[in-house]
Amino acid sequence: MSPEIAQNDILYHVSLNARPTESIRQYNVALTICGNHAIKVFMTTAPTAAPRISIKDVALTRGARPVLRGLSLAVHAGEVYALLGGNGAGKSTTVAALLGFLKPDAGQILVADIDPVENAERARREIAYLPENVALYDQLSAYENISYFMALSGKEPSRDAMDAALDDAGLQPEARALRIGGFSKGMRQKVAIAMAVLRDVPVLLLDEPTSGLDPRATADFNALVTRLKARGTAILMVTHDLLGAADCADRIGFLAAGQIVEEVVPSKGMDVLALHHRYGEVAAA
Amino acid sequence: MTTVRLVADNEWRLMRRSRVAQLALLILIALSVIATLTSIAHRDANDDLRARFQAQADQEFDGQPARHPHRMVHYGHFVFRPLPALAAFDPGVDAFTGSTIFLEGHRQNSANFGDVRQSSLLARFGQLTPAFVLQVLAPLVLVFIGFGVVAREREAGTIRLLSAHGVTAQSLIFGKALALGRVAGLMLAPAVAALLWLTFLEGAPIVAALGLGLFYAVYLAAWVLIIVIASSLARQARTALMVLLGLWATTVILIPRVAPDVALAFAPVPTRLETDIAIQRDLRRIGDSHNPDDPHFAAFKARVLKQYGVDRVEDLPVNYRGLLALEGEKLTSRLFDDYAERQFAAERKQGAIVAAFGLVSPAIALRNFSMALSGSDLDGHRRFLKQAEAYRFDIVQRLNRLQAEAVTFGDDSNRNKDPDAGRRVRIDPKHWHDVPDFAYRGATISEKLESALTGAALLLVWLVMAGFGVRIAIRRLEAAL
Repeated sequence: MSPEIAQNDILYHVSLNARPTESIRQYNVALTICGNHAIKVFMTTAPTAAPRISIKDVALTRGARPVLRGLSLAVHAGEVYALLGGNGAGKSTTVAALLGFLKPDAGQILVADIDPVENAERARREIAYLPENVALYDQLSAYENISYFMALSGKEPSRDAMDAALDDAGLQPEARALRIGGFSKGMRQKVAIAMAVLRDVPVLLLDEPTSGLDPRATADFNALVTRLKARGTAILMVTHDLLGAADCADRIGFLAAGQIVEEVVPSKGMDVLALHHRYGEVAAA
Repeated sequence: MTTVRLVADNEWRLMRRSRVAQLALLILIALSVIATLTSIAHRDANDDLRARFQAQADQEFDGQPARHPHRMVHYGHFVFRPLPALAAFDPGVDAFTGSTIFLEGHRQNSANFGDVRQSSLLARFGQLTPAFVLQVLAPLVLVFIGFGVVAREREAGTIRLLSAHGVTAQSLIFGKALALGRVAGLMLAPAVAALLWLTFLEGAPIVAALGLGLFYAVYLAAWVLIIVIASSLARQARTALMVLLGLWATTVILIPRVAPDVALAFAPVPTRLETDIAIQRDLRRIGDSHNPDDPHFAAFKARVLKQYGVDRVEDLPVNYRGLLALEGEKLTSRLFDDYAERQFAAERKQGAIVAAFGLVSPAIALRNFSMALSGSDLDGHRRFLKQAEAYRFDIVQRLNRLQAEAVTFGDDSNRNKDPDAGRRVRIDPKHWHDVPDFAYRGATISEKLESALTGAALLLVWLVMAGFGVRIAIRRLEAAL
């Protein structure tokens, strides 16, 4: 393998009309190195299409405190956008607004072309959301949790489909029928990721997904995110974890005082330490 | 499958996996079954016993030897109130008021004016009956099983995930209520079985049994909604539990015990001793038939002599002593009836005050409704007292009439001096057979429904109020999501 090419890196985006019946929509082919020599081909929606997540000049006040002040960002299909910022910068508020839990005072939010303020229920159908602490039912098994939440989304996945999704998420088979009360945070996240995979929604929101995970679990998670991205999911990841963001994000936005103050495109050989210092400055500001 | 159904099914599954919920439900159902079986057995045994005692009392009365009719007046007679079939479901006040009365001449029946009928003393915990289990214990178990149905989702954070999966506040609350409603249905099942048993095997009126089943369901439904509301509004499950326990203790225990005392303060009923003294005072005022100077009885004597066109009581074609007994009984009975009516009116006023507390305590509304439809309320007891009193008056006056017509004045006056006269005043015992047996007529179903109307209306008010509460809870939860 070439030293410049890492496993799961997307090498090329090729635009083409994939299906005659859907000629209006454009698809990309993402080529990814998988293992030493194999090449995986994913169909992804074209980045040239409208962004899956669009936030334009959004201002939002919580209580008397303005949290978002003219925030703008866009995340396209097959793209991972990492939103970094210190405590109180407005990261979780951004996620809550995308889910329609909070109403902006000004500006516009669109999720898969749906305004979550106008139609939160429809917008939420297009979103898979992973909160910082994945809250599932401890008395139910991974299978039962998945089938319940899938049913709420109007889907009834077979056991095979659930196994495939859990394989993707990396949850060991022997744990799947056990009640998840004894699961670690990482295992719970895998269950939640499997749900996101099964829902096959265009948008994935991750709220501090790697906080509290050990380095191995963090690496596993980042690999999962990369796989989901390769499927064409638009992923907005709210995080403190700069290294993780640099590892799997296409763009990193530094959020301070409710707006993006700097946007970085990670690249191979990027000076992560310098970036870390810059992040520290932004977070402190 | 609708979202409401999915939420309900999942909650039901979680409840089934909770040992606390399983145990609480199991204990309640076991209590309900035990209460049902023991109550039916107890009622059947009691009813048999009462029927046997009534037959024995009738037989003993009929089997009395030749006696002076006035001796029979004081020999007296026992009457027993038969228990309605639905008293097995809700024995109501039966255990406190009793169902046996001794009837004797010149005396009000032994149960009237009893202190035990004061409504304050009737508002106590009952024995273990299906009604008690559902009125008192079922809401408590529902609270323990359901306090966290929504609050726990909020605490655990699953509520956000549910919302992110398109579950609305309304679907969530309705789903949780449906799941808790299923628990309530399980709690109600043994009682429904008991009602079916009593209807088809023991002859209870089907309309009353249906009414009981329906309004116990309304009561539990109101509790289910109250629990879901509290669980939705509370930030923590623990807070919801404390609020609900407080509500249960207040509405099911405290108010039903305080309300009768308030009623007693606003509508006092004299004690039996006070009533007895007042009656004795009034009796003296009415007159003394043994005193020749008593104005009332002097006038009565003059009226009788004039009616029969004679100058002396000895010349009357009937026994004047018998006529005196008839007149005396009429006067005393009228007095007794006046006092009884006053007492009944005060008790009704107390009952109305207690019933009004049904607005703040659904347990009071249900208890009144349940006792009325089961025929075991205070109205039913008063009906028995009235019928017993009418029966007492009838048999005493029959015997007094026998004294007037079958015993001569001369023999009656000399019965203690002349052994032959003493023998002649003992009339043929066949007369005792002519005295009819006591036959209690219970309330008709329409009378029972009329008595139960206030309780039913208050229960519906509770259900409607709970419905409004649910709307508020949905709005608050929507805002919180």
